[in-house]
Amino acid sequence: MFLSRSEGLALALPAALFTFLVFLVPVGILLSVAFQTDTGAWSLQGYVDFFAQPLNQKVFFRTLKLGILVAGTAAVIGYLAAFCIVNLPATSRGRIFGLVVLPLMISPVARTYAWIVILGRTGIVNDVIVGLGLSSTPIRLLFTETAVFIGLLQLFLPLMIISLVSAMENIPRDVVPAARVLGASWFQVFFRIILPLTKEGLVIGGTLVFTGALTAYITPAILGGSKVLMLETLLYQKVNVSNDFVSASVIAMILIVMCFSANLALKRIASVKR
Amino acid sequence: MSRLMIWLILGVTLTFLIGPFLIVIFAGMSAGEALAFPPQGLSLKWYAKVFTVESFRASFALSMFLAIFGTLAALLIGIPAAYALNRYDIPGAETIRTIVAAPIIVPGIIVGLALLRYFVVPLNVAITVALFVTHTALVLPYAVRVVSSSLNNLRADMEEAAVILGCTRLQAFTKVVLPNIRGGILAAFILGFVTSFNEVPASLFLSGPGVRTLPIDMLSYMEITFDPSVAALSALLAFMSVAIVFIAERLLGFSRYV
Repeated sequence: MFLSRSEGLALALPAALFTFLVFLVPVGILLSVAFQTDTGAWSLQGYVDFFAQPLNQKVFFRTLKLGILVAGTAAVIGYLAAFCIVNLPATSRGRIFGLVVLPLMISPVARTYAWIVILGRTGIVNDVIVGLGLSSTPIRLLFTETAVFIGLLQLFLPLMIISLVSAMENIPRDVVPAARVLGASWFQVFFRIILPLTKEGLVIGGTLVFTGALTAYITPAILGGSKVLMLETLLYQKVNVSNDFVSASVIAMILIVMCFSANLALKRIASVKR
Repeated sequence: MSRLMIWLILGVTLTFLIGPFLIVIFAGMSAGEALAFPPQGLSLKWYAKVFTVESFRASFALSMFLAIFGTLAALLIGIPAAYALNRYDIPGAETIRTIVAAPIIVPGIIVGLALLRYFVVPLNVAITVALFVTHTALVLPYAVRVVSSSLNNLRADMEEAAVILGCTRLQAFTKVVLPNIRGGILAAFILGFVTSFNEVPASLFLSGPGVRTLPIDMLSYMEITFDPSVAALSALLAFMSVAIVFIAERLLGFSRYV
């Protein structure tokens, strides 16, 4: 075109420099902390020490487990819901889709807070349990892995549904009925038609939900507390309770590596398809 | 699949997604002192109370300030960047794109800690300024992305025509490009506003005594007091977000841009 490159660079540089200086540099320094000893020599001792502690190991595997569980469950519900949504008539489809997106605009604090009302000692679930005589005293539902799982699932399910709906909208309308007429079971329809044609949407949704669950702070903080620590809440404790910046840096690195590998895997799978 | 099955599945899914929220709205209407559902009698006293809590008012003002001006600052540097990346053949365009998008991928809590330790403390930056800078950085990727996609839909020949017909380059931008991407800019502003207003992890370490964003203030209030005011406040904030997005959708078809 008729525009010069230096002009373009001048327009793009403020944003790039800003992010680089106030964001990438501090994050880079933070990540390097765990690779250095007190004397400044490079070493992996910070990582060795971190994983030597059983609590840290437990939190690491719990975070990984919850991330996978939440993403897997979201995929199952997401497929059911997305299939229903794309088969709705156009007007109700828009409305239902709007209701699915709606929670994303609401503060995660508010959304997580709801589960305290539901799962707390005097919450609805316990009222029902005690009312039905299933237990004489309220049982502890909050501050359990189940509570964190439910909270995370509710927080991130919309992202999965959105990804799967847009993937399914690209499947030609007659394909599924055609397969059914020709004798395919629903099982075959899903694994041989729907799944291969929506793989990309599943990968995108899965990455969003998985990384979202790994890096959520509010949900494990409110619903898990110090009883059910995840990496994010553990990092907060390491800094604010024990002043252990090396461990904080190790956790930061673990989280970033997990998120980046999930994103890389996404890019690879998505580009192989095209 | 039958009609009934479809509505059953959607009913259960939507109840799971939205039901808890309706419960919060009602829990906030309690006439009693403790958080419970069903509420002990109905009243709006907790909805009224949140307006009188001094810390909520202060943190609401701070959150509003950050959401509005942080997003405006992000647009101020983000629009030129999006324009340059779209219209110019810049060396290192891919690198610039990656740098600007990075804050989305890095978990917020790490951003907060890194900025606290290696930006705020060594340079002795005021808390409000630190929060402002952080929110600007977090919103910038969204601003660039949304404005970019709106620029993609605008053909470059229109600006060329304007320049050939005698406009200066700046005039071509302000008279031709800007009016055409107005919707995208507004959509970017709303998305940035909501993102910044709801942000917690990055602001966590940066919030000091007396200087807190509203969601963080709610979190610490919850730890101390167990009354329904946080439920009422949650409901009010949800109404605010939903209203903003609803109006935006009606006015400009917000969802096209996001």
